Amino acid sequence: MKRYLTFLAVAVLAMISFLGFQGKTSKDTPVYVFDDMDVQSKYKPQGENAFFADGRDARPPVAGTVARGNALEPLKVFSADYRRLESLNPSFVTGKDAKGAFLATFPAKSMNLLPNGEFKPYVVDAQTLELGQAKFEIYCKICHGAAADGNGVMKVRSAVEGDAAILTIANLQAPNYRAYPQGQIFDVITNGKNTMQSYGDKLSPEERWAVVAYLRALQLSQSCPAELVPASVKAELK
Amino acid sequence: MRKLLEFLNRPASRGNFFSRSINAAPLQIIVCLLITGVVVVAAINEYATNKYLNVGYTPDQPVAFDHSFHAGPDSVLGLDCRYCHNFVEKSGHSNVPSSNTCWNCHSQIKTDSPALALIKRSVETGEAVRWVKVHKLPDFVYFNHSVHVNRGVSCVECHGRIDQQAVVGQQKSLNMSFCLDCHRNPELVLRPLDKITDLSYKTAKPEDQVEQGTKFVHDWKVNPPQSCSGCHR
Repeated sequence: MKRYLTFLAVAVLAMISFLGFQGKTSKDTPVYVFDDMDVQSKYKPQGENAFFADGRDARPPVAGTVARGNALEPLKVFSADYRRLESLNPSFVTGKDAKGAFLATFPAKSMNLLPNGEFKPYVVDAQTLELGQAKFEIYCKICHGAAADGNGVMKVRSAVEGDAAILTIANLQAPNYRAYPQGQIFDVITNGKNTMQSYGDKLSPEERWAVVAYLRALQLSQSCPAELVPASVKAELK
Repeated sequence: MRKLLEFLNRPASRGNFFSRSINAAPLQIIVCLLITGVVVVAAINEYATNKYLNVGYTPDQPVAFDHSFHAGPDSVLGLDCRYCHNFVEKSGHSNVPSSNTCWNCHSQIKTDSPALALIKRSVETGEAVRWVKVHKLPDFVYFNHSVHVNRGVSCVECHGRIDQQAVVGQQKSLNMSFCLDCHRNPELVLRPLDKITDLSYKTAKPEDQVEQGTKFVHDWKVNPPQSCSGCHR
């Protein structure tokens, strides 16, 4: 018995010294003890795939095809009088009017449908501004700064890193940007401008219009006419 | 009677096959089996679970992206998680960012750094960057990111303090009991929606969390599934 217990103690010590304890870091791919169906042969988002030349599971859409699963009803889609919603309300997704000029105001119609099939009118309300603020602080603040004055952390970092300072980061409080029509700001977010890359892939058209609205609020906040300031806020400032 | 005792205690004859010590053997075998059983159970508990097998998996990535520098309000750049993982609120799959996302900034800053060579090549040629997946769930588990982050479950609950990790490793076990702990008591983790990506967020007093969580469970009608088909299909 003594001999067996000694053997057991040595075995336990050897195991601990070899395997360690929970929580140690390792670069080795995890071992699956019971790997039943853990790894299935199916295509997954952003998965790797040896079959296709580019090595990706995700396939680019084939030209002229309609993606499934976008709540589109096939019978409607393939009927002769079907029109994509975007094609019925192009201003909302391009920021331009029928003649190709930038919209001076927010689009008249939203992409949401009323029960009678008409588009709901587009309104900028507190909810829109909240959405715009949330998205601005994620995607825009890093360069343009929280107050849209162009003093985001990117400007600071480019000086610290010794790269050429990013001179093209726009101070959106400047008069020329204040004078931009709404549609042009929408267009810059969608397609980028100068050194700014496109954010059309990150923000949906609804979100882009909300960011435009929030930017207008920021511009107003930095040069607010005295008569627009509520009395309670005025008292605080004094 | 005297004769029986004399018989039992008689000296062992020289021809007896078993020695007298064998009388203790059954007891010794039982004790050894018990100790062995305890050791085996402890070893399985320690080593044959995700807590040992998966936690701590910290592979080298093709591009040494440092989350602790880029991400989180306390980092140098203070990027929100969603700047790069931008579909997490809309999609079941939280995307690894496309290379253009890196290039939003790096087309201007540290563009020619050798550390970014792979990203640069990817942007120029469209070739994929082969990022190594860290947090793996079995393929029969259908986890939906958007439904969690839109109902007050922060990134930190499953991924830990990514904003403090220079190299990302798995910090939570992500086994089924880990999921069910939350699904049974969601009020212990739910937080305001604007604090989802603030990984250091805590309620002012720890005991406030239950009150806040209970309110969110009620207001948002949070009813996490505990049936098999909630996550397995």
